[in-house]
Amino acid sequence: VAKTSLTSPPWPEVKLPDPVEEAKYHAEVVQKVNEMIATGQYGRLFAVVHFASKQWKITSEDLIMMDNVLEAECGDRIRMEKVLLVGADDFTLIGRPLLGKDLVRVEATVIEKTESWPKINMRFWKRHNYQRKKIIVNPQTVLRINTIEIFPCLS
Amino acid sequence: MVLLSAPRWLRSRLTDRFWRVQEVLKYARHFRGRKNRCFKLAVGSVRRAFVKSTKARREKKRILRTLWITRIEAASLEHGLKYPAFISNLLKSQVELNRKVIADLAIYEPKTFKSLAALAQRRRQEGFLAALGDGKEPEGIFSRIVHHY
Repeated sequence: VAKTSLTSPPWPEVKLPDPVEEAKYHAEVVQKVNEMIATGQYGRLFAVVHFASKQWKITSEDLIMMDNVLEAECGDRIRMEKVLLVGADDFTLIGRPLLGKDLVRVEATVIEKTESWPKINMRFWKRHNYQRKKIIVNPQTVLRINTIEIFPCLS
Repeated sequence: MVLLSAPRWLRSRLTDRFWRVQEVLKYARHFRGRKNRCFKLAVGSVRRAFVKSTKARREKKRILRTLWITRIEAASLEHGLKYPAFISNLLKSQVELNRKVIADLAIYEPKTFKSLAALAQRRRQEGFLAALGDGKEPEGIFSRIVHHY
């Protein structure tokens, strides 16, 4: 039959790879990455952590400042549990949405608890004799990320 | 200023009014023109500066989000994906990274961003195949040729 403009759909035909072969390839890759983690062939690790309702991209020896109070004294070690992504130079582990706690360990120390600089909130309507001035001082906490560790328990 | 006689010293006393005026002028010292020196002009400028900064603090969040979206769009176009396809497929694959972090990854971790783009592309194709289905007609439908006599 002759090929017209309507024989095949206008979008490009996409074929997914064979699921059996794909499963084999995936298992190979997972095993290789596991070996790399076990032997320690990675340099600096970075992680994306969900903390204080924000997501941070952190490495070791990083300083983080949060605009709120943390119920921990200065010098306390904290373990951050909601890790979304961990990566090194050759591989990344993407969580859906979170990675397991037995896979990654992110440790941080509380360094200082201060207040922010006095921010000025002012409202003014012209010709109405209305102005309000308020000085807002937020408490802040500074954390230092000590280490990011990964363990070879991929499957 | 070196004041050489007692009457001169007495004339230059620091009253409370001086300190009240300085409280306003200290916020105007980096302005341009006479409003960094003259109190009358500085009052209005300082007031407008405070009001603009309060409003800008709310706008900053919107501006930064559009900036991140522009950057992610540019980076995903380099990998052959458009921004809506990239973000929607990432969310469908249960990867909940926000735009700030994805923009940072696109700048500083290009290999990770490439893998995220590949993940989104694969999920997109799987979605298309699932939507197209088997290519057969649904059951329970039959066609009948109608005869007019």
